[in-house]
Order: sequence, then structure tokens, then C-alpha cells
Amino acid sequence: MIEARNITRTYRSHGAITGARVVPALRGVSFSLPKGGAVSFIGESGCGKTTLGKILTGIETFDGGELVVDGVELSGLSARRRAPYFRRIQMIHQDPYSALNPTRTIEQTLEDPLRMRARETGGDRKAVEARAAELLELVGLSPEGVLGKYPHQLSGGQRQRVVIARALTVDPEVLIADEAVSMIDVSMRLGILSLLRDLRTRLGISLVFITHDVATARYIGEDGELHVIYRGSVIESGPTDTIIQTPVHPYTQCLLSAIPIMRGLELPGPQRLVPIGSLDERTEDTGCLFAPRCPFATDECEVAQPALTPWDPTHQHACLHAEPRQVAAMEIALSQ
Amino acid sequence: MTETIQQTDRPVDQPVEVSVSDLTVVYRTDLGELPAVSRASIDLVPGQITGLVGESGSGKSTLALAMLNAVPSPGRISSGSITVTGLGDVTKLAGRKLRHARGGTLGYVFQASQNSLNPLKTIGKQLLDLGRAHDVRDLRALVRRAAQLISEVGLDPDRVLDSYQHELSGGMRQRIGIVLALVLNARVLILDEPTTALDVLSQAAVLDIVRRVHRDSGLTTLIVTHDLGVVSEIADRLVVMYGGPNPEEGPATAVLHEPSHPYTRALIGAMARIVGDISAARVLPGRPPDLTTVPRQGCVFRDRCPLAMPVCAEEEPELVQWTPGRRRACHVEPTGVLS
Amino acid sequence: MSTLAAARARRSPWRVTRRVLLRKPGRVIGLAIIVFFTLMAIAGPMLYPGQLAVDPDNIYASPSGAHWLGTDFAGSDVLQEVIVGARYVLLTAAISALVTAALGTTIGLVAGYHRGFTDSSLMRVTDFVLTIPGFPLLVVLSTIWNFGRPLEMGLVLGVTGWGGVARAVRSQTLSLRERGFLEAARGLGLSNTHIIVRELLPNIAPYVAMNLLLSVIGFIGAEVALFFLGVVPFTSSNWGVMLNEAVFAGGAINSPQALSYLLAPLVCILLLTLGIVLFLDAIDELFNPRLRERS
Repeated sequence: MIEARNITRTYRSHGAITGARVVPALRGVSFSLPKGGAVSFIGESGCGKTTLGKILTGIETFDGGELVVDGVELSGLSARRRAPYFRRIQMIHQDPYSALNPTRTIEQTLEDPLRMRARETGGDRKAVEARAAELLELVGLSPEGVLGKYPHQLSGGQRQRVVIARALTVDPEVLIADEAVSMIDVSMRLGILSLLRDLRTRLGISLVFITHDVATARYIGEDGELHVIYRGSVIESGPTDTIIQTPVHPYTQCLLSAIPIMRGLELPGPQRLVPIGSLDERTEDTGCLFAPRCPFATDECEVAQPALTPWDPTHQHACLHAEPRQVAAMEIALSQ
Repeated sequence: MTETIQQTDRPVDQPVEVSVSDLTVVYRTDLGELPAVSRASIDLVPGQITGLVGESGSGKSTLALAMLNAVPSPGRISSGSITVTGLGDVTKLAGRKLRHARGGTLGYVFQASQNSLNPLKTIGKQLLDLGRAHDVRDLRALVRRAAQLISEVGLDPDRVLDSYQHELSGGMRQRIGIVLALVLNARVLILDEPTTALDVLSQAAVLDIVRRVHRDSGLTTLIVTHDLGVVSEIADRLVVMYGGPNPEEGPATAVLHEPSHPYTRALIGAMARIVGDISAARVLPGRPPDLTTVPRQGCVFRDRCPLAMPVCAEEEPELVQWTPGRRRACHVEPTGVLS
Repeated sequence: MSTLAAARARRSPWRVTRRVLLRKPGRVIGLAIIVFFTLMAIAGPMLYPGQLAVDPDNIYASPSGAHWLGTDFAGSDVLQEVIVGARYVLLTAAISALVTAALGTTIGLVAGYHRGFTDSSLMRVTDFVLTIPGFPLLVVLSTIWNFGRPLEMGLVLGVTGWGGVARAVRSQTLSLRERGFLEAARGLGLSNTHIIVRELLPNIAPYVAMNLLLSVIGFIGAEVALFFLGVVPFTSSNWGVMLNEAVFAGGAINSPQALSYLLAPLVCILLLTLGIVLFLDAIDELFNPRLRERS
């Protein structure tokens, strides 16, 4: 469905006095998303994962690499020729509050793209209305209760469901969910996650899940691939459960260690890791990007950026000191 | 100033730093005055971190603001008391005394504390403003204390005090919020959603700092959040909130291990976790409580409760102690909830 | 579907407008003032067609039963003059407002939405328009152009006055552009026209309306000032002409006899301004569903 090869994106910030500064947002990201499959990207804020989502939906351009959608390489096409491919890939935004137009009702929000679609396929007004109601039911909302409302009259979870329904109006093949649940109450997150999972199994829609929270990624794509991004490059990738159970890159281990422990239900992993300092974009890029924060960094880490190398046939990493550590929480058996 | 601390049926016979008892906060709407917090009782034990968990609309932020007697209009505290050791009943304070209590004894870190700094002033200037507002004589000592706290939260004091808000990251601003809340030697630290909008690494760092300053300064801490994970990571005691009287409270580990209220159980079940059986997770049905739709009579959770019985619609369950240290408000027997 | 129908009925524009207006009495008063003067402008010249009656024996008369606001230097009734003069003033303001709204909104939207080269070139034009001193230009133009009809005056005021609206609309558009719902609309493949008209316009409408009403106040001031200064030939009767006559011909500053003649148009201008300012308060709620649904 989607095949990305070595995608790079660099921002240039124009400083009047200091001169232009080059900030690499993505440094060669490759992945492939099979039809109906799921891929997750994990990383902290500022790691480039949002840029990746925007590139995949065509909102942002990339300046190196190849993006192949349905067997067609997109960077060679004109913007007009590219558009139909990008329309198969729809974005679920992080913030359900700004993702819906506050001056338009849910009915209007859904019917605009549906009408555009109807013009192409020859549907009539009735079909548009029926489809709007059908989509709302699909995402678990009651059409009567929601259609006439404005976004501000809905809760965060309901809004996110409307956003998903709107993305479905153009019959996409891929949904990109960028932190799709991070602004929603924890109690309501599971509902959205299971909806996305349902769309995968029932409609065969592929999912790209972008998040900083490994637990939600696990829920979406247990059978999928997980890529850990650090400052624009993938530093570890493999099947989701493998990465959670036997992470080998220290950064992945830090991310997993940072997940709160449900005391009473879980025990902390015995080798929990804490990174040194916080993300600093300005450090030199010669060696391993994570070295300045890595508890295991040695002199050789400063020399060159390690390349992605296989740990086992499905599992890759980019670290000179890769070693599996038990950092994820462990379940306590319930005493009943 | 000596104050008699109001005696409530406290679960543990321990000294109490802050005692919220039977607090009701109402908001004036067109439908009349609706309670955002209804008969809430919470005791904060010195040296403990208490976690207050609730969905949006459960009134948890209102309760936190009420502790400063700072409920925004059109809300008001209609009944109940909040007794703080050394301050008396906060709901009775006004004017200068109230101002000094806020930020003085009671340190508060705002929900959006990433955005609660003045963008036009350096952190140092805002610190001095805070000192002047509280009639601090020795501003140099205040800056020294701030510098010490800033290095305790893992930042460089010289750089931070000269920075503007936009020069700091979200996690750094959150830490500054904690520093400003503590710089006037607060004894009680209230954090409203301290980690919302932070990624896991910043969240872990902030929680670690909270844990450390809590221990080092001997604080009484309240963390208000919708994220059960945050609370379970850090809190000693756990109080669950839902529209009406608290459904459940007790030691965090015990409550998580053995929830005695259907709501707590549902909250735990709806967590996406990195261990355990994914298919065992259950979506919490229905909507979070809402000022206008929360039932006026009976148990407020009954519409979403899998164990609701006829009596739940008629009678509001009382918050009672059922085992030492734990209280619950539910008509169903505790054993009936877990099985 | 009854709830949906009810929700639709509740949102009918008339009921919404009524509810928003009735929320504060000032808004009703403001609207009443605006409607009053609009009616005056429409009906005035029909009530008193042709030249107003002249009475040389009764000039600068004080207010009386026959002449409620007294008479002017020629003995004409001041009240009639005010009523007849309203049309020119309001029509000019309306035309200039229309031109300002159309030009300012279009240019601001297009510049803000397309950014890049379109944006910079359109904004240079806007900057140029903003630097044109509108009022002195009118004074100069009046020497070569006849401003006897509202159309010309309105066009000149409008064409020189849209810069502020364009700037406000552009900055709003730029900030809305980054919002999720616009990215989504582009991602869904909706046309640019659709996005600008359906998605952007409703969100910037309150800013346009507010800027517009405020600029109307400025336009009224400018045109009246032109006539007051006497730089435009008096080919029509309007409030500015009245002020000019009262001050320079009647000597209202020194003698009290022309006072009512001076005050009548002044009070009208002030009242109209007050009406607009009072009504402004309702604009935000009229356009913002979040504010207006709050009943």
C-alpha cells in the first residue's frame, strides 16, 4: 500500500543575524505498510514523527527519498497528479478541538466531502444523507443526536469520532492517526483505539499510528510493525510485541521505562532506564544522535552514526551497544 | 493561631494537613444552580501524595481551585469547609489573608502551567513580582531559594531566571510552575493535571521531580489528573471522583489491585497497558459526567454501571469505611464488584 | 429525526438573531438607531421632494411648533433638512463599506490562504493603499472631480479605505490556515473555492463585520468633514453642508441664533455612531455558534 524509502525532510530557519540554520526533521525514514496492516511510530515530541504524518498525507513535502503509494512513485508527479493518491490517505488529527470547523454543524462537515464524492460517483442528495448517517453509526455515534450539533457541543471523544467519520467520507485506504488520543480523557481513549482497530479488521483500512505512548500503539497494532524514531531517524524497528518485550536500543528502553507503572497490578521492569537530560536539537550530529543522553555511551559512539542493523531477522536497531533489557512493566497475577 | 480541626470519620487516625469536608461547589446556569462538586470529602495527610482521579466533568479541577477559594465565577462554594492547618477554614478567608494563603502555604501548579507564565517578562522578573505580591522583605533570599529549587528540578538557575517563557520547553515550563508554587515555602502542593500535553519522557521527569521535592521539602501533595497511570506511579493514596460524593478512596496500591467500586474497576479496565491481555481491556461505556445530565437522585454512576440495581436509582450511597483505610460509596457489596 | 428538526428550527437565522439581540438591551437600541436612520435615508427625499421651502422672513428661527428644530439661513426647516440630508450621508457610507468589505475580504483571504508570491504581492499593494492619506486625497480629487453624487464619493472612500480590513482578514486567515480543519479539508481534496468560501469565510466574518462597522464611522466622519471644510461644491444637501453653513455662514460659534442648526446634524452623527458601537457588541455572538447557542 505505502512504501517509503529513505524519506528526508530538512527545514531551514532564516536567522537575520546568525544566518540560515538547517534543522533536519527526517533523516532517511524507510518503512512499508501492507494493505490492511498497521505501522506505529514512537518518539517524543520534536522527533519528527508529526512531519512524517504530514508528508504521508501530502500536507508537507519531502526533499529526498521515494514515496510509493499503490505502486506509483509520487515524487516525480505533479501536484495535480499526486492529489488522488494522497486522498486515499487521510489524517486523524491530534487535537479534536481544532480539527473541526467551529462555525459548521456536523451535518455540514460530513456532507461537503460526501457531496464532492457524489458528484464523481453520481450519487444523489438522498444517498449523501444516508451515507452521513451510516458513517456516524459506524464510528459509534447516533446520527439524530449529533448531525445538527456544532463541534463545541460535543465531548472530546465524540469530536474525535466525528473526525474519523469525516476521514471515512472519501473511502480512504490508509488512516494516519497522529497522537489521535493524547488529548482525550484516558477513560475514553480505549473507545477510540478499539474503533480504529475495528476499521482495520472490518473495512481493511491500513493504519499508521504516530504516538509517544507505546501502550496505545500496542493496542492498535499488536500484529504490526513498530518503529522508534529519534531526532528524525529510525533507531529500532520490529514487530510491536518483540520491541516491547525485548528492546535492544537504549532509547527504546528509556521510552518503555517512562511508562507509568500501575502499582498493584504491575511490577516495574528490573532494568528501568532514565535518559540523561532532555532532547536538545542543537548538539553536533557527528556520532550517534542519542549518545549525549545515553547511559551506555562510549567514545566510539561519538565517531559515526550507527546504521540500522539486524538483531534478528525481523528486528533491527542502530546501536553499538545493543543489548536486550527487561524495562517494561511486568504483570502481577490477580489474587482471586 | 490555633484551630480546632473538624473531626470527620477519617479512615486512618492520622494528623491531617488539609481536610475538605462535605464540600459543595455550585455553578449558576440558566437551569438554576448546578453542583460541580457535591459533598466531597478528602483528607490530605502530611507527607503523603494523594492522587485525585476523575474524568473531565467530574469536578476535580473545580475542587482543586476550591482549595484556594478561587472557584471562578459563576461558581461558588455553597457549603462545606476546607480546613488547612495554620490557616483555618479557607472558604472563610478573604482579601489579603486569602492572597497570602494562595502561593504561601498553598502552592498551586496550574493545569496549563505551560501557558500560565507571562510571555513578556523573564522568569526572574515574575519571581520578583510574586515576592512583592506576598510582601517578601528579603528578595535576594527569595532569588537564592528559587535558584536552589531550580537546580533541584534539574535546570540551570542562571539561564532559567533570564529566560522568557517561549525559550523553555513544555516540560521545563511545568518545572518552573512547580518552582514558583514552592518558592514561598508552601507546605501543601496542589498540581492540576501536571503532565497533560507532555510526552512520556517529560512526564516521567516531571513525576520524578514531584516525588523528589515532595520528599525533600516534607510536603503534603495533591495531584489532580484524569490519568490513572500517573496517579498509580506516584500517589500513596488514591481518591476517585465522579460528579457526586467520591465513589472510592484508599491506599493507591490496594485500590488498584482490588477496586471496590464498579467505576474504579471500569477505569482500570479501560487503560491501554503495555502488559497483560489486550482483549481483556473493556471500553468504558457512556459519557463522562456532565453538569447538566448528572442525575440529581440516586447514585450518579448508575447509568454506566454494569452492576446497577433498582435501589441505585432511588438512594445515593453513603461514603463509608469498609476495611481499615478504605472507604467506598456503593450499594453493591465489595465482593460483588471484584468477582 | 424530531430532535434534528428541532435543532434546525432553533438555528433558523431569524430566531438566532432575535435571541442574540434580546440578550442585552443596548444591542436592541443600537439596531433601532441604525434602522431609524436607514429608514430616514430611504424615505426622507420622498417626504420632501424637490427644493425645500424657503422663507426669507423667518431665518435662524428658534425651535417652535411650526419648526421643531428652527430654521436655517434661508428660512428652511432644519428638521426637513436633516431628514433629506441623511440619504447622501448613509448612501455614501454604505457604498464605501461595500467596496471596502468586498476588496478587503477578497484580498485578505486570497493573500492569507495562498501565501508565498501571491501573498507578498497583494500585501505590497495593501501597504501602498494604507499609506495613501485618504482624506487629503479626497480634498485634492475634489478639485477635479465632482462629488455631488454618493456613488463617486463612496467609491473613492472605499477604494482608499480597504487596507485595514485586508490586513485583519489576512492575519486571521493565516492563523486559521494552520488549524486542523483546514488541513483536513485540503487532505479530503475539497476545492480551494470551497475551502475559502465555506470553511474560512464563516470564521472571519465577525472580524470583517466589526472592521466594517468601525470603518463606516470613519467614512461618515470623512465625508461630513469634506463638506464642512467646504472643499467640495455643495451640489446636494447633507449634514456636512449644514454644519458648514451653520459655522461659516451663521456664525454659530459666536452667536447662539444658529445653534440648533449646528446641533441637529452633529447629534445625528453622534447618534448614528452610538448606534453602530452599541450594535457591534452583538456581532461576535451572531457569527460564533459557541457564543450564540449559550442561551
